[in-house]
Amino acid sequence: MLSSDSGEDPMPNPGSNPIPIEDQFSCIVMSDNCEASATRNGSLGNHVGGEIEGAEDKRREWGRTNSVVEVEEGTPSPSSSGYAGERGSSGSDEDEIQELTIDGYVDADGGPPDSQATWLPGKRHVDEDDASISWRKRKKHFFMLSHSGKPIYSRYGDEHKLAGFSATLQAIISFVEGDRVKLVRAGKHQVVFLVKGPIYLVCISCTEEPYESLRSQLELIYGQMLLILTKSVNRCFERNPKFDMTPLLGGTDIVFSSLIHSFNWNPATFLHAYTCLPLAYATRQAAGAILQDVADSGVLFAILMCKHKVVSLVGAQKASLHPDDMLLLANFVMSSESFKTSESFSPICLPRYNPMAFLYAYVHYLDVETYLMLLTTSSDAFYHLKDCRIRIEMVLLKSNVLSEAQRSMLDGGMRVEDLPNDSVPRSGYVSPHMSHSRLPTDSPERFRESYGGTGGPAGLWHFIYRSIYLDQYVSSEFSSPINSSRQQKRLYRAYQNLYSSMHDKGIGPHRTQFRRDENYVLLCWVTPDFEFYAAFDPLADKALAIKTCNRVTEWVKYVENEIFLQGATPFSW
Amino acid sequence: MARTSNKNIQAKLVLLGDMGTGKTSLVLRFVKGQFFDFQESTIGAAFFTQVLSLNEATIKFDIWDTAGQERYHSLAPMYYRGAAAAVVVYDITSMESFVRARKWVQELQRQGNPNLIMFLAANKADLEEKRKVAIEDGEQYAKENGLFFLETSAKTAQNVNELFYEIAKKLVKASPSRPTGMKLHGRQQETRRGLLCCSG
Repeated sequence: MLSSDSGEDPMPNPGSNPIPIEDQFSCIVMSDNCEASATRNGSLGNHVGGEIEGAEDKRREWGRTNSVVEVEEGTPSPSSSGYAGERGSSGSDEDEIQELTIDGYVDADGGPPDSQATWLPGKRHVDEDDASISWRKRKKHFFMLSHSGKPIYSRYGDEHKLAGFSATLQAIISFVEGDRVKLVRAGKHQVVFLVKGPIYLVCISCTEEPYESLRSQLELIYGQMLLILTKSVNRCFERNPKFDMTPLLGGTDIVFSSLIHSFNWNPATFLHAYTCLPLAYATRQAAGAILQDVADSGVLFAILMCKHKVVSLVGAQKASLHPDDMLLLANFVMSSESFKTSESFSPICLPRYNPMAFLYAYVHYLDVETYLMLLTTSSDAFYHLKDCRIRIEMVLLKSNVLSEAQRSMLDGGMRVEDLPNDSVPRSGYVSPHMSHSRLPTDSPERFRESYGGTGGPAGLWHFIYRSIYLDQYVSSEFSSPINSSRQQKRLYRAYQNLYSSMHDKGIGPHRTQFRRDENYVLLCWVTPDFEFYAAFDPLADKALAIKTCNRVTEWVKYVENEIFLQGATPFSW
Repeated sequence: MARTSNKNIQAKLVLLGDMGTGKTSLVLRFVKGQFFDFQESTIGAAFFTQVLSLNEATIKFDIWDTAGQERYHSLAPMYYRGAAAAVVVYDITSMESFVRARKWVQELQRQGNPNLIMFLAANKADLEEKRKVAIEDGEQYAKENGLFFLETSAKTAQNVNELFYEIAKKLVKASPSRPTGMKLHGRQQETRRGLLCCSG
């Protein structure tokens, strides 16, 4: 259960030099959870539909929110939407449910973050519709539909077969005047609505994620659609309210399913920050210099990435790139096999930059994982961008940036086992994997045996550090005992809960939070400079855990030149 | 437009057609000799280059393999502007794709340049049992509109190299023998009218 100290001391004055967390924890305010969740519900207003007795109370126990129930029991909850209200027609339920439990775990609920190869991209279960039991048992549905009730996208099942279901969702939304319905609870299920002009987005979930998380996931799905079509798609609805949008999104199922999958493994989806590939400062500088060179020649943004990690990025003067746009762009490029075959030139829209207009993206993979994206406003710029790429590629090869990047991908990022022992790192100390650039290139000790111990000192299992000024985060590698994809997903869900409770406008903002349940000790610390999230062994000693967090933040500061891209935003110096 | 220097011709070639007709598969078969049963949708347009050597000249193709999705239609001029050759592709198992192909031809005739060398490729010829568009219909349409016609299969490689060789030959014919900068419009147009049929 929750363990919290009630604070007596006044809140320390937040300064630019963060006060050691020990001091802050003398006044921990993790207010009682009933209150937290009540406030959250209160702020939602506009409830429609029935609140099912008892379900609310269960939700208010914090311990439960962290342990996401993975296997759904048999009975669908009652609801008027038809979503789970009636039984499907197919017989032999037992066998089917059996099969689904496995199925639901393996693919419906996503693969492990570090072995994404096992997650098969693309839409599954297209044969399903709302009459299929299997469809009803999916834990998390996402829908996009038009204001006239026409289906646009569904995570599972064929959109066209879901026309009736879509119309029902539309009816629920329009039943509440002014399209203001935000949340319906029905038993274990939450139905979250987001209205964006003529486009409605709906999530139906029994994953116990907080409303805010689900809503921000809907926002990202909407953003992904804008990235593909721009907001000018609204005009089609002005001309014809019954406009069918599905042909316009032809072939993009995979982009959406990969985004939805990333809600399980990519912290960028809830932190609204991006992460960098760890690299020696000089190496990143070299990459930045050549990107800056092309940015000066009329390229709006030049971005070099390894999978979802940024190697370097540069924007033209006054142009700044929102982390959400980067997430959506990287997801778009990585999920489309087409970009890997050849160089491409494609219209894309960055919704946070300008939701109305297309930019043109030159995309080229420099090796299997590393790709360069050059964005411009000019539709004729292909040959210029191609020349830029040739120049960039030459410089990157000459300065070994590409090989350094590949090595860093192999080595991975920070590991809790490597946390320096002293609270202040000895001069010259850099953890082995962060100093690879200074070691002889082929020294075998750089490669560590995986999953040797059981986490770091004081039972530290994992941490995420988000730099507020840089819009960047660093997340430690997963290590024992958080090995399986299931455990990793559960931890991310717990972080999401923590994140949304820390950012809850109703009861926040909080500075610190300490939580203990049967799975973890979770610790969160927010200062004007950073947000820090850590997970410990559930039996970890509190004082020691707090001390350890201080050491981690010092460690992060010590290696910040290698794990963060400096000088990428106007706020940094 | 084709640029000639000595016997080197650089030519921009664009592939157009409905989604799933096999544009990318044709290009990959030609450029890399590959074929995948499940080729993913192209995003925007993919750019390839390939050099073909004929006796008369060496042709360097800049190939724009455009996405067939409806959302990219309005952006097509960006890719076909300045092209020396265009291949409009349809799928013999889909009447819809043939209708779409005819729309592409109309658009090219309306907006493209009059010297554009146009081929109509009836792809997926290996799927004879699922055929919906008769070979005569394709031929007939090509004849009426001054296109060259070929039935192709990226899967079996049938007529794929032939398609690009035929384009190359037309390009050589269409370009002046020496880089004098003179253009022989009359002859080019004459060539364009001819109908080539290798499918029989």
